Amino acid sequence: MLPVSYYLIVAAIVFCIGAYGVMTLRSGIMIMMCIELMLNAANINLIAFASHFSQVNGHVFVLFSIALAAAEAAIGFAILMSIFRSKNNVNIDNINILRW
Amino acid sequence: MAVDNIVFLIPALPVLAFVLTLAFGKKLPSGGGYIPILAIAISCIISILAFLQIHSTDIPIPIEVSAHWFSVLNVGIFIDPLASVMLLMVSFVSLLIHIYAIGYMAHDPGKPRYFAETALFTAAMLGVVLADNILQFFISWELVGLCSYLLIGFWFRKPTAAAAGKKAFLTTRVGDVLFLAGIVILYSSMRDVFLERFPAGIPDGTYLLQFSTIFENISHIDPTHLTIITLLFFGGAVGKSGQFPLHVWLPDAMEGPTTVSALIHAATMVTAGVYLVARTFPMFIASPAVELAGITIPATLTVVAYIGGFTALFASTMGLVMNDLKRVLAFSTISQLGYMMLALGMGSVIGAAAVGFAMFHLINHAFFKACLFLCAGSVIHSTGTNDLREMGGLMSKMKITGITMLFASLALAGIGIPFINKIVGFPVGTSGFVSKDAIILDATYVFSHMTHDWIPFAFGILAALLTAIYTFRLWFMAFTGKPRQERHPHESPATMTGVLSILAIFALVFGMLTFHPFLDFVGHTYDSHEIEHLAGLGGNPILEHPDHEIHHIVDTASPIIILLPVIVGVGGLLLAWIIYNRRWISVASIGNMRNPIFKILAKRYYQHEIFIELISMKFTYGVLALTGEFSDRKIVDGIIDGISSFIIGGAEVLKKIQTGVVQNYATATVLGVGLIALILSFKGVI
Repeated sequence: MLPVSYYLIVAAIVFCIGAYGVMTLRSGIMIMMCIELMLNAANINLIAFASHFSQVNGHVFVLFSIALAAAEAAIGFAILMSIFRSKNNVNIDNINILRW
Repeated sequence: MAVDNIVFLIPALPVLAFVLTLAFGKKLPSGGGYIPILAIAISCIISILAFLQIHSTDIPIPIEVSAHWFSVLNVGIFIDPLASVMLLMVSFVSLLIHIYAIGYMAHDPGKPRYFAETALFTAAMLGVVLADNILQFFISWELVGLCSYLLIGFWFRKPTAAAAGKKAFLTTRVGDVLFLAGIVILYSSMRDVFLERFPAGIPDGTYLLQFSTIFENISHIDPTHLTIITLLFFGGAVGKSGQFPLHVWLPDAMEGPTTVSALIHAATMVTAGVYLVARTFPMFIASPAVELAGITIPATLTVVAYIGGFTALFASTMGLVMNDLKRVLAFSTISQLGYMMLALGMGSVIGAAAVGFAMFHLINHAFFKACLFLCAGSVIHSTGTNDLREMGGLMSKMKITGITMLFASLALAGIGIPFINKIVGFPVGTSGFVSKDAIILDATYVFSHMTHDWIPFAFGILAALLTAIYTFRLWFMAFTGKPRQERHPHESPATMTGVLSILAIFALVFGMLTFHPFLDFVGHTYDSHEIEHLAGLGGNPILEHPDHEIHHIVDTASPIIILLPVIVGVGGLLLAWIIYNRRWISVASIGNMRNPIFKILAKRYYQHEIFIELISMKFTYGVLALTGEFSDRKIVDGIIDGISSFIIGGAEVLKKIQTGVVQNYATATVLGVGLIALILSFKGVI
């Protein structure tokens, strides 16, 4: 069995990719996908520790996390759809009407 | 004791008349003027009943009616000899003036308003007289001030009348504020006194501001407080009674109808100040000279005497040169009120008898001054001018007015026959002679023999000379000589001349007939209050039997002193006759602007310049108001504005952080989390 650190490294890499994407990308959809990456990185960590300590709590928690991600994606994409309808693109830089 | 139950009607009926006249006056004949006349007539009758009841016993028993108001205050009516004579005078003179006004105001469209306001004016003054506590006194006092404002500015479309009303209101208000401050200090002093006596709480039925309660507790009040309280009260009296330096409103108050001037000057307003001092006389006599913050404040009665004496002289000098008929009379009122204050000030030596002298002069003055004003009204009514220079020779056209005014003038100048009182048992002369000479003579002896102070006497005697001169100057200029302008004067209607005749008779004989009974009666006012003991508190060297001692002093005095007031009276008459009737001395040679004395008098001592331009415009507006405005606008507002602009400026900078770019926020979040992680790891937590 692989040591738990391997899983953690993979998860860290995935998380960094996600965080980097959120910080740099412009497209709303891409940012949403990067958020999913970050969430999944966390899920990997949870599963890794759950199997490492032979406990079921982590597994249950991941299920919650996935459900939450689904809900977040549903709302996020709905918002992006309505933005697309009014602006004809989903470039986040253009959405600043609440700014000073 | 039926009178006790109806005395409340005395002020209530005129108030009712005020309401009725205001509401229905337009639909009634004479603008509803008969309603106030009826109401005041009934008030007058009740006043007479009350007087008779008090007078029926040897030692007068005051009528007292009192009801709980709230907390430690009450409302009530208190009629002792002092209040009762005042009540008679106010209701009677006011009644006569109202009857006269029916004729005088016949052609004025504002009659309902006029009669309503004069009814309220009378009611307020009756309220002042009847009050049994100082708060009720103050409320009525303020109502008097309000009515005077309304009536002086009766012809409010005339700018000078509106301004005069405002001036009267504001000037008397200065005094009123002092008076109110005095009441506040009195209240707190009285509460302290009672809380010391009753630590468990003030018992029910004790009313702190009731006159009787105050007088009983004078000796417990801190002397310094007492002097301050009485000085503040006197400040109120100075404002109301037109004493120096708050006399400036009275001459301007001539802008109202002449009947209003008569009401103000004789019955309802200016006497309130004298009455206040007389009413709270036990407090005044118990006020000692005190040292406050290194300044010695003299005993209040000394201040009263000096202010009174000075005002008597000061006002009469200005009366000499006025050309407006009513202004001459206004200055004479100020001057005569000065005499009353001087008389009250003598209380420091002769005790409560001083109240009798002051009130006697007040009542006599009310009769002859009402008569003078109403005569002036009659003259103005028929000639249509106030200016003495445009009159002349009116005697042939207006006999009744001329003769009644002559009688009243003789009374004002104080013409009478001295020494005869030893033969017939009472003084013989006009009422002004009887009361004013009593004051001057007593002042002579009081101040020369007791306090070795001649100044108040000198004020009094000089003022008497000037009074005689200006009074007869007025009469000779108006009624004798040739008409100086083409006018068509006519005698006034019977309602007016009838009133004039009644008042003239009173002016002639009232003083003669009532001198001793009056002083006896009013002298009983403060019998129960141990004036000697209070005078001791105030450090006033009061005589033990003032009546006897004064009689003794007067009897043994050199005749020249007794003759002096009459000499100056007759001398003034002759001087006026020489200058203004025979014209042996040219008026123009004295009365022109090149004569510095005339100039300063005609300019009224530059009071307008000093009060209005220097004090109010330069000092109050220029210094105080503008400083206030500067500190408000620049300093107070500046601090507020500074804080807000600092916050707005800061926000301008800080809001740039909110870029609206999601990536920036995400970056900040990640960096922040990273920073926290770093800090925690350095601390060894993770």
